[in-house]
Amino acid sequence: MIRLQSLTRLALAAAFAALPLRAQEGGQEGSTGGGEEAAQAPTDDSDARWFAIQGGDIYTGTGAVLRGATLLAKNGRIHAIGYDLDVPPEAKTLDARGYRLYPGLVAISSQGLLGNASGDFRDTIDPFHFRMVLGLATGITTTGVGSSVVKLKRFSVKDAVINERVFSTFAWSNNNPRGKSELRDKFAAAARYQREYREWQRKVKEQKDLPEPSKRGIDNNVLAVLNGDTTAKFSTNDRDELLGVARLAQEYGFRPVVEGCQEGWTIADELGRAGVRAVVTPRARRTKDERQVFDGGSSIENAAILHRAGVPVAITPATEGVDLGGLVGRDIMHLPLEPGFAVRGGLPERAALESITLQPARYLGVSHRVGSLEVGKDCDVIVTDGDVLHYKTFVQWAVVDGKVVYDKEKELFFAHIRPRPEAEAPRKIDAGETPPKPEAEDGEGEGEKKDDAGGDERRGDDEPK
Amino acid sequence: MLRPQTFLLGALLATPALAGGPLAIRVGRAETVGKGVIENAVILVEDGKIVTIGEDLPVERGIPILDRPDWVVMPGLVSCYTRIGLDSEGGEDVSPDVKVTTEIYPGSRDLRKVVEYGVTTLGVYPAGNGIPGLAAAIRPRGDTLAELLLRDETYLKIVMRSDAPSKKRVRDAFKKADEHDEKVKKAREKWEKDKKGGAKKDEKPEEKKMAQGEGDEPSAAATQDAKADDKKSDGFVPPAPDAKSRAFVALRQGRLKALPTFASASDWLHWLDALGKEKIGFDVRLVLNQDSDLFYVFDKKTYDLEEDGIGDRKVHAIVEPLLTFTPNTRRVRNLPQELAKAGAKVCFTPRSDDLANYKAWLAHVGELVGAGLARDTALRALTLNPAEMLGVGDRVGSLEKGKDANMVFVDGDPFQPATRIQAVMLDGRFVFGEVDL
Repeated sequence: MIRLQSLTRLALAAAFAALPLRAQEGGQEGSTGGGEEAAQAPTDDSDARWFAIQGGDIYTGTGAVLRGATLLAKNGRIHAIGYDLDVPPEAKTLDARGYRLYPGLVAISSQGLLGNASGDFRDTIDPFHFRMVLGLATGITTTGVGSSVVKLKRFSVKDAVINERVFSTFAWSNNNPRGKSELRDKFAAAARYQREYREWQRKVKEQKDLPEPSKRGIDNNVLAVLNGDTTAKFSTNDRDELLGVARLAQEYGFRPVVEGCQEGWTIADELGRAGVRAVVTPRARRTKDERQVFDGGSSIENAAILHRAGVPVAITPATEGVDLGGLVGRDIMHLPLEPGFAVRGGLPERAALESITLQPARYLGVSHRVGSLEVGKDCDVIVTDGDVLHYKTFVQWAVVDGKVVYDKEKELFFAHIRPRPEAEAPRKIDAGETPPKPEAEDGEGEGEKKDDAGGDERRGDDEPK
Repeated sequence: MLRPQTFLLGALLATPALAGGPLAIRVGRAETVGKGVIENAVILVEDGKIVTIGEDLPVERGIPILDRPDWVVMPGLVSCYTRIGLDSEGGEDVSPDVKVTTEIYPGSRDLRKVVEYGVTTLGVYPAGNGIPGLAAAIRPRGDTLAELLLRDETYLKIVMRSDAPSKKRVRDAFKKADEHDEKVKKAREKWEKDKKGGAKKDEKPEEKKMAQGEGDEPSAAATQDAKADDKKSDGFVPPAPDAKSRAFVALRQGRLKALPTFASASDWLHWLDALGKEKIGFDVRLVLNQDSDLFYVFDKKTYDLEEDGIGDRKVHAIVEPLLTFTPNTRRVRNLPQELAKAGAKVCFTPRSDDLANYKAWLAHVGELVGAGLARDTALRALTLNPAEMLGVGDRVGSLEKGKDANMVFVDGDPFQPATRIQAVMLDGRFVFGEVDL
């Protein structure tokens, strides 16, 4: 059994060992710095906001599964994951025994989940809108919108936008050869400027009057891509176009995000070498261009082949909005169903989970905060009644920044479909007043029993009780 | 309690009734709002004021008595957020200097008409969608603006929506007020320097003149602003704020209240976000529509908000008497009731500014009472709460000794649909109803 708690304890002990030492130093210098630090430590904790999700099977999103474990959050960040944690008595708790914990899903792109917001989301987000509830019911806790990254922080308009100017979109199309050559020229010019600028930076230390290289005619977006300030995004499905993007990326050393990528499986090794990152929709279909000699068209194996070739795969449904006409089952509310079709084509389940959590978080530049359950990251968690990729699974609770923002039983939309068994809902969780040891054993025993009972991945709601 | 006879002594000279002279009114029941219900109430009115009110008070001989045992009396209704009798339209401007008083026409037919529906006090605001300007409290009868006006500059209307322009308007306006504060600071520094520099006392009146010249309105209001700025009263007269920043300077100093209007729950959070650290007094206007989601922000506790809810701030909340639905359902909600429970001081406004809704105002509130709204809350939301919201709660809004004699006489429970208004008294005069003594 992994005892993360002992690790954190060790770290804490180390920190405390260091403290008095620093305090002594401070004392010798006659400053009050050490004293302040010592005084700060306890007050820091006294008004901390604790939240614990107890007893669930924790799928961290990085490969590990901790069965019947506890996730403890402090001030909205994950503080510890593991067994026998010291949960402060004042902590709010959520009993997740019999349920699974996953990192909140990350939609690489969506529309309408922030209400009718547009422009600067800080000033327009509607954290009460029913589409935000639907997004959370889907399991989405973070979404890319346009070029921003926003958390579905319900009931608050503050600190929801966590990244901006993520993407610069470029076109690369066989139908527009001139556009292609122009883009190539832009990259060449920006790369030349970048070299000149760096050289100038080096030389100007000695020759103060050296003029700065002119930025005239340099495309700012392209330069930002080369400087790593933004990510180049292309949208193409065609084999030739994909190859073109890959070559461009290789030549100028950047890692583009390519949406579509339907024929990626035919040149997966090339894309992998070039560092292309794919956003695919496994259920999207494309017929082969019969004039082409090579393989083409869509393949159910696309995501799997790309993954095997080292191409990161993020998955997005066919439409970005909450769409109840036309494409039912293929809108953003069915984000977790989409990777299932990639799994059908051979994508490992771990990669399938990552395709809607960690990979999009990386593309969006927010993987240091969301995308997996790791100590230090935001406490954005979904609690489900089964495998998140399974069609029957519902998100029971969604947690953003250590706060329950969605409870299936309390919202209008899905409460009536397979409601949670009454017996499991109102159980009282001991927040740590009684000695933890015997209880921990109880918990483990129960957890194991449950595992045996539910041999298949689903816990039997339709089994007679 | 003082015996009523002592009050009546001075009023013994029998001046003609209905013309300012004393009049005793005996009714079956008085809903005083301020002091509960009085059965068999007697109200003595003189010079437009309520001299006394109590149960079964004896009336001095010689004072005319209006005896209506089957009537119920309640305070005149106060409609604190209305544009009845006003006509113009406004754009999406920032004009905190505009006063609604400039467009009030005493001869308006609508103003005369609302009296018949029991309305004796109105809070009228300037039209517009940005920051349209300053509202005023008026009485609906009078020949000149001065006769109509109860209180000018009662609140500053601000239309707040969840969009960038709304928030920018508020932030920019406070920036303007910052500029004024900076100006005051500099003026004070200069003044102090001059004071220290020598006994140049003759410079002071000069500065005073300059300060007044700077304001667009060197009126009583401007000097009042200047005085309020001057906390230490050491002779320094700060420059008066210019027309555009005046209202926001007054907001900061607590001499004026803002009235932001919200149509959805997110508007409230964006308003608090736009205010930031500004501490200003404000009441709120909530636009109820059928699928209103405003209940999310009525209190902090229910949805574990990071900010205060509307009720937590104990503000006056102006709403129309309307039952709404939980969004996306047909489940009826009584939002005014929820609002009152959350701690807000509910003020009703008619469903819209047309006479038909003024006529049905009591009945509309009655619908909410039928759906669970407390009767006391409903009465207060029609009278004392809006009066206090307008800053005239010491004069109107309840039946109490010393207050203006604004009364509505009905022939039953005011919230029953069959009940009719029998008479309306405004400032001690019957302005509606056939009353023979």
